[in-house]
Amino acid sequence: MEDMNLLFCAVSAAALDICALVLIIASYRERSTGNKQWKKISADMELVEQGFTYHLGCDEILIGRHASADIRLPDISVSRYHAMLTVADGVWTITDIGSKSGVYVNGNLVKSKKLCENDVITLGNRKLTLRKTVNPKKERRKNK
Amino acid sequence: MIKNPFAYLFSCLFVLAAHGTMLINIFYNGKYDDIKDLIILAAAVLGLDISYYIIMLFFKQYTYTIDFMLLLILNMSVIFQSCFGGVSFSAKHYITCIAALTACRFGHMLTCNHNWIQQQKKYVWIGIGVLMIIILIFTGSRSMWINIGSFSIQPSEFMKPLLVLACATSITEQQKKHKVWKFDIVWENIILFGITAAVCLFQWWCRDLGSIPTFAAIYAAGFFLRICYPKAKFSNKTLIIAGSVVLVAAIVGIKIAPEYVKDRLFVDIWSDKDGNGYQQSQALIAIADGGWFGKGPGKGYLHNVFAHESDIVFSSISEEWGLLYAIMMTLVILLIAASPLINPPRSYYHGTMCTGICAAFTVQMALNIFGSCNMIPFTGVTIPFISMGGSSMVTSGFMAGMLVAAQSPVFRKPKKKKSKKPANSSARRRSAA
Repeated sequence: MEDMNLLFCAVSAAALDICALVLIIASYRERSTGNKQWKKISADMELVEQGFTYHLGCDEILIGRHASADIRLPDISVSRYHAMLTVADGVWTITDIGSKSGVYVNGNLVKSKKLCENDVITLGNRKLTLRKTVNPKKERRKNK
Repeated sequence: MIKNPFAYLFSCLFVLAAHGTMLINIFYNGKYDDIKDLIILAAAVLGLDISYYIIMLFFKQYTYTIDFMLLLILNMSVIFQSCFGGVSFSAKHYITCIAALTACRFGHMLTCNHNWIQQQKKYVWIGIGVLMIIILIFTGSRSMWINIGSFSIQPSEFMKPLLVLACATSITEQQKKHKVWKFDIVWENIILFGITAAVCLFQWWCRDLGSIPTFAAIYAAGFFLRICYPKAKFSNKTLIIAGSVVLVAAIVGIKIAPEYVKDRLFVDIWSDKDGNGYQQSQALIAIADGGWFGKGPGKGYLHNVFAHESDIVFSSISEEWGLLYAIMMTLVILLIAASPLINPPRSYYHGTMCTGICAAFTVQMALNIFGSCNMIPFTGVTIPFISMGGSSMVTSGFMAGMLVAAQSPVFRKPKKKKSKKPANSSARRRSAA
């Protein structure tokens, strides 16, 4: 009877263990679905500046000179917290958050503006371009 | 409809298997007078599993893992609660579990669009105030329960998700600073501090001191994320000041605590095992009695001790199912809380919300388990999803729904209400000109 008790307890504990493991694996599988969905939500955009690419991975992106900014531009002409990029309904918007030199989109000074593909954002002396994410593997295939 | 049908199917099967093996364990190893009791329990558990699988299909989500974990832990708790002292289906707990699942769906729907829920922050603050007034009016003097017939509600539990929502913030909100004298002030942070202080004082007044660490943990998580972002405001000086304030508050709290609280804080349970240390000493003996694999479902004696199904539920489970199973049960709850680490939220608001929920779940579990094991003073706080108690269950379910929302968010700006103008106003203006 003691052995039976031990056996069934061990089996039910093992079943719970395996179930938890399967749920963790399933969660990792769903992560890729979440990433795909994010690409749809964010219109699969990225910011580019002279060969540097900044991934836009969340709905609020702080741009500035400070080390805690999501996109750090270590340039004295850029304020510590210069501008904020936000996304809603698949459209990115840039907002000036009290910078000294202002935010320019395609050469026009703006306080807040919805962005389109290939818009050029000027923050101080730095110029960033919003463009569709380039997949290096796909690019290589195209070139071949 | 479902993005990962295989993951969904496998999750369904393994959750069923986990519950199935528990029921088989009871069949061979449990204590029951009539097989009918076990059949009713099995039908209820497996029926709820299958029904929820079907219901989940109607909800569009990117991830379902938290739902499966929630179902797994809730039905496990139904089995545990039905087995204490002999198998007998616990209908009351089963109903509260269904209420928790429903609350989870509501939690998801309410918080999935962070733009919308952020705009409702004023109502969240008002909600906390209204709950305090309700407690003051309806619970009677210095109590925390409202009795309606055979049911009793603990309204202070509902303050937990509201405080989590009040603590959640976005970067945009944190950038809205106002210059007051020499300081850049975010008004929301000042209001939040006031609300938390009011809630903690209120809990003190209602003699529900056990809940104060949970509220404090939710606020601490929110506060930490507010001073960490932007990091410009984060310094060792700030941390030292915050730590000192907490320490002073704790010392003052202990000094002015009522006598019954002081007794619990400094009790030696073995020399006072028939008095203040009764529950803890019995709980420890039960854990030791159960060993790694337990005595068998329904074969424990701890069900004779008061609050065996809520305050010392960890010991009751350890005694009947074994310490190994009890630890794994806590791991499943920790997995629910840690799920945002696997699928990280895409918005800062949802991130801060998840941190608050994790803090609440972890602190509640730690208070209950370590309290039962005499590692910290006994507080009488419930383990989320496991302990008996409708208010706690519904609140925990709602907070689990908020975690689901962070993983299946909606990024849509709420539509602005159009101002009602007379249909021909422009024509009238033109004619007047």
